[in-house]
Amino acid sequence: MFEPILLKNINTHDSHRIDVYLKNGGYQALAAALKMQPDGIIQTVKDSGLRGRGGAGFPTGLKWSFIPKDPTIPKYLCCNADEGEPGTFKDRVIIEKDPHQLIEGMIITCCAIGAKVAYIYIRGEFVFGAERLKTAIDEAYQKGYLGKNILGSNFNCDIYIHKGAGAYICGEETALLESIEGRRGRPRIKPPFPALAGLYAKPTVINNVETLSCISHIVNRGAKWFASIGPEKSPGPKLFGVSGHVNKPGMYELPMGTTAREIIYNHAGGIRDSRKLKAFIPGGVSAPMLTERDLDTPMDFDSLAAKGTMLGSGGIIVMDETACIVKVAMRTMGFFRHESCGKCTPCREGTDWTYKVLQRIERGEGKEGDVELLEKLCGNIFGRTFCPLGDGAVMALRGALKHFRDEFAYHVKNKRCMG
Amino acid sequence: MADEEDEVETVFIMATVKINGKEITVEDGTLILDAARQAGFEIPTFCYQARLSGLGSCRMCLVEIAGQKKLQPSCVTPVLHGMDVFTENETVKSARASMLEFLLANHPLDCPTCDKGGECELQNFVFKSGPRQSGFSEWKRRFHDKDKILSPVIVKNHNRCIHCERCVRICDEVVGAKALGGIGRGVMIQSTGFMDDRLDCDHCGNCIEVCPVGSFMSLPYRYKARPWDLKEVDTVCPYCATGCQITIGIRNGEVVRVKSRINTGINKETLCARGRFGYHFIQSRDRITKPMVKKDGKLAECSWDEALSVIKQMFGSGRRTAGIASARYTNEELFVFQKLVREVFKTNNIDLDSRFANKWVTSAMIDACSLAAGGIPIFDALKADLIFIIGSAVSDENPVTDYLIRTAASDRRKTLIIAHPRRMKLDSSSAISLRYKPGTEGEVIKGIADFIENGGESTSDINAAAARFKNASNITMFLGAEILRLANGVDVLTGIAALKALLKRSGKNIKCLPLFDRCNQRGARAMGIHPLFLPGLKKVKEDGMDCGEMLDAAKKGEIDSLYVLGEDIVSMHPDARFAREALSNIKFKVVQDTFLTETAKIADVILPGASYAEKDGTFTNQEGRVQRLRKVISPVGDSKDDLDILCSIGGFAYKSAREVFEKIKKEVAGYKDISFEELDGNGAIVTGHGRQSLSLKGTVPLLSGSDNSGQQSIKEDKEYPFLLITGNHLFHSGRLSQRADILMQLLPEPFVEISEDDARESGIVDGEKVVVKGNGYEAAMKLRIAKGSQKGVAFVPENFDSVSVNMFYKKGEGIPRVKIVKLP
Ligand SMILES: Cc1cc2nc3c(=O)[nH]c(=O)nc-3n(C[C@H](O)[C@H](O)[C@H](O)COP(=O)(O)O)c2cc1C
Ligand code: SF4
Ligand code: SF4
Ligand code: SF4
Ligand code: SF4
Ligand code: FES
Repeated sequence: MFEPILLKNINTHDSHRIDVYLKNGGYQALAAALKMQPDGIIQTVKDSGLRGRGGAGFPTGLKWSFIPKDPTIPKYLCCNADEGEPGTFKDRVIIEKDPHQLIEGMIITCCAIGAKVAYIYIRGEFVFGAERLKTAIDEAYQKGYLGKNILGSNFNCDIYIHKGAGAYICGEETALLESIEGRRGRPRIKPPFPALAGLYAKPTVINNVETLSCISHIVNRGAKWFASIGPEKSPGPKLFGVSGHVNKPGMYELPMGTTAREIIYNHAGGIRDSRKLKAFIPGGVSAPMLTERDLDTPMDFDSLAAKGTMLGSGGIIVMDETACIVKVAMRTMGFFRHESCGKCTPCREGTDWTYKVLQRIERGEGKEGDVELLEKLCGNIFGRTFCPLGDGAVMALRGALKHFRDEFAYHVKNKRCMG
Repeated sequence: MADEEDEVETVFIMATVKINGKEITVEDGTLILDAARQAGFEIPTFCYQARLSGLGSCRMCLVEIAGQKKLQPSCVTPVLHGMDVFTENETVKSARASMLEFLLANHPLDCPTCDKGGECELQNFVFKSGPRQSGFSEWKRRFHDKDKILSPVIVKNHNRCIHCERCVRICDEVVGAKALGGIGRGVMIQSTGFMDDRLDCDHCGNCIEVCPVGSFMSLPYRYKARPWDLKEVDTVCPYCATGCQITIGIRNGEVVRVKSRINTGINKETLCARGRFGYHFIQSRDRITKPMVKKDGKLAECSWDEALSVIKQMFGSGRRTAGIASARYTNEELFVFQKLVREVFKTNNIDLDSRFANKWVTSAMIDACSLAAGGIPIFDALKADLIFIIGSAVSDENPVTDYLIRTAASDRRKTLIIAHPRRMKLDSSSAISLRYKPGTEGEVIKGIADFIENGGESTSDINAAAARFKNASNITMFLGAEILRLANGVDVLTGIAALKALLKRSGKNIKCLPLFDRCNQRGARAMGIHPLFLPGLKKVKEDGMDCGEMLDAAKKGEIDSLYVLGEDIVSMHPDARFAREALSNIKFKVVQDTFLTETAKIADVILPGASYAEKDGTFTNQEGRVQRLRKVISPVGDSKDDLDILCSIGGFAYKSAREVFEKIKKEVAGYKDISFEELDGNGAIVTGHGRQSLSLKGTVPLLSGSDNSGQQSIKEDKEYPFLLITGNHLFHSGRLSQRADILMQLLPEPFVEISEDDARESGIVDGEKVVVKGNGYEAAMKLRIAKGSQKGVAFVPENFDSVSVNMFYKKGEGIPRVKIVKLP
């Protein structure tokens, strides 16, 4: 049985309170980190092999090391708590149940990169979570873990909460920065990359909630310990949020690289009503779906990439044989169409067009050539959009077409579902 | 080039790249798009616009770079040495076609009823590289059925928008109005004003100009013509001295639009509301089209022969006659006018209307800006690391100059300092905006000079500004025409000259440019419209009278006749009562103009001249750039080309503006290298008239010696707490713009503007109707609050017959004082 790391406190009564957190060893990592050289912290995180949990799996220590060392330049840390990817609900659990774990990780990160100010960009719907965070931040100030001269170390750090206003795109890191700066949430041109010119054109690190929550554990228990969990190339604990047609939907913390079969059948209790699994999406709707054949794939960045999909946010959506894949594809495309920021032509027009075609097929008004049209549209969007949102939309549809082309064709021909 | 010589040499690092196999070496950092264009390969673009920030959103310009998996947007990707770029291979071509197919998917394709049809970039690109058929068979997104009228000049069709956001960016980055933004997202995004509100904007129409499709459209031009039916002529804006290039379009003899061109003039694609929409006066029904003479105390229409023959009485009248011209006439007309006055009337009593300025101030301005030393292209001037503006509400007076300065100042290495009593749009780009009471400009200048010389500690804004001067190495000063209106203008300009000398001594490069409010103010002086100077700024033997002196003399009965070329002295001279009285003392007055102005109404002969669209010639803008005015239509009714009128009176044999220009080249040294025929959209910068300064030193009497000075009235006055300043409004220029319908729709009546603090103290709110009183005159108007303007200062635009601001002025008393009371 894997002993939870990130979720170890969540079942404790009042786990969100600072005294409970302190009782369980909280803020000791901060005390230790404040005695380390910033570069030492970065090296530790590098050695741990931690990769970003926001979706792309970028090595966290490496990201931090891009930040210029010049002490006269202000720097920022932004915690990405936008959690907009459908099927994803891991950050919310941490924020609501163990906010100090995140805050401690953020202060250590600030210390490592030389930032004195950090923002938590939180999804607007997380009203309760934002309140919890606010209370936790206040507690941390009272106890002297935030503010001036933290633990007598001469290090100052402030954290602000910034609430989003309901746009998935604001989870994309540069759109997130635009939004914090008070502009429309839309991606920026890269380069310059945020590490050089991010928030207010200053060097900025953007990390996911789960990524930052790993930091205190790495400092406490060492890089070696962390690296020993799960596969060599993407180590550590991982939160898997399982939803859909399973008996026990919920949040499971398991070592990276646990197979989908184990997560779905052992932990989430298998498919409801003893039906057959039809497909599962491994990491939020941008990740192309897989089928039964892929159940033994280890759930980690590289193994899933090898299967043409991705770990993404680790939000697993399970579909049994009752699910109509055309409808799933239509709904997914509908999401991307709705969330496209509208900046670039292929995503704005492409998601709209594709959605309309899928809608038509789903309604039983498909025409010959529609499947080919969908494939052509995917080709015209993919790789040509301004930011990865458009690519995500295409990947989701391509995944469905790859495994269930017949079902689409059947729909077009027979004007109804296969099942 | 004028003031300064050695520009800092920049060394460029070069990069060699291959574009479609063709090797080319360009400056490092050049965009792939530009490199490709240099190599002769055209890449289609929508969101790219040279002067705007890169957006990279339309994806039309995607190119393939060897070794990179994804196609890259060439409009935001700089070249790297050794890059191998493909702009025309099959992948790129099919990506291009697919973008067009996407753009057409939701596009209404209502080309037959779209004003843009025929000059639409979407149409053109689809024609060139578009898909020949589309697989799109869904319902189209549709925002509205009827086009939306957003303002008196803008009509918007959201359905046609292709979301390039050129409109949003030009409004924000260049115009500085920030009136537009994006509403909604995804396929429901609209580029518009907040809630499609009737836009509270500058009405410059630049959003219309840059819109590649028929989404932002001009309301006045709506359904007036198809582009291929238009005859278009390139000419110059007749309003301020920025000297924007405009293109007038006519259909069946009617002027239907004015536009700008992206590759033409210093303004390129931009204009201001006046330039773009202020053309309706040309064919106004109020134009005077018949000559008139006064018979039995009444003006009556007559023949040209009759009108011209009565003018003969002015011939040889010497000092008892005079000529006053407007700076809106061409160099050629003004040159011939001064010939007429000097050679035929035999007097040096010649001046511009010089509304507020005497001949010493105007001379001092010529000197301070080294106008005799030749022109300075504004883009050279804007290369400076410090830009200082004093004496001009430049955002109102010279809107396109404001755009150019804003664009330059967006470079963070540059510092902009503005000194003016009023808040203005350009303040948002300035590092420091100095406020002061009108009349204390000299103290501002002196304060800066003192700090530079003696240092100091005080943290005042002036010292902060001075510290910036100290740190700068290339400085450009813009001197506004308001300095000409000051009774102590000579002192101020002497102070500026001293500051320039001080800065030069400490090794700085200084450039100085005037900001004039009349299109040919600079050219007029060079043509000899000045009581002290012949053409080429050569000193006259016997000084003539300036405008103020002429009126003084007239009052005393010492002037018998006056020839007024296009100026409305009664409306513009500071002290309207005095001007009217003095003019009525002159027995014989000729007014040559296009409208029946207040001055024309009291004339004895009226000669109907032509508007700028009806003649050829040149204007010289404030930089010293000579630009061609081209005839678009024939003079309306029986009116005549002004040059013809002047030549027939004086018996001069010039048959065309070009012939006069040849003569000017001989007499005005700075024009000698300019070819009238070859003047294109860039015009030509005048060279020096052979000397650096006018060498008036010693001859210009300072304050004490000048005749109509009188100390500036900046004493406190509880009863009349406001100092009144005036000038042009953004939508208006002199009294001419009142005749342009659209400009009158944009601002039909004057207002009085005061600071927020003053408004709060007087308990008056924005938009409230008030009465402005002073000098025995009062006028009702609306109040406007300007947050951040100098306390104790009121501004009323000088552009309306309905409220003649010059009624508040009393001769010899300098800046007038007024009070503002609420209407009960
Ligand atoms: C359309 C889009 C949405 C995204 N949404 C989120 C999000 O909700 N939360 C998140 O942590 N990362 C999100 N990301 C990823 C971020 O851009 C970024 O890579 C991540 O926050 C980096 O953190 P990490 O290095 O800790 O993974 C999104 C990316 C894209 C393209
Ligand atoms: S792909 Fe383009 S339209 Fe879509 S979200 Fe990104 S920038 Fe916006
Ligand atoms: S008219 Fe000018 S100020 Fe108004 S929205 Fe268009 S660009 Fe902006
Ligand atoms: S209105 Fe015109 S300029 Fe503005 S975004 Fe749309 S197409 Fe571009
Ligand atoms: S008024 Fe001045 S700024 Fe405006 S268009 Fe004419 S020349 Fe340009
Ligand atoms: S022109 Fe390059 S992306 Fe639009």
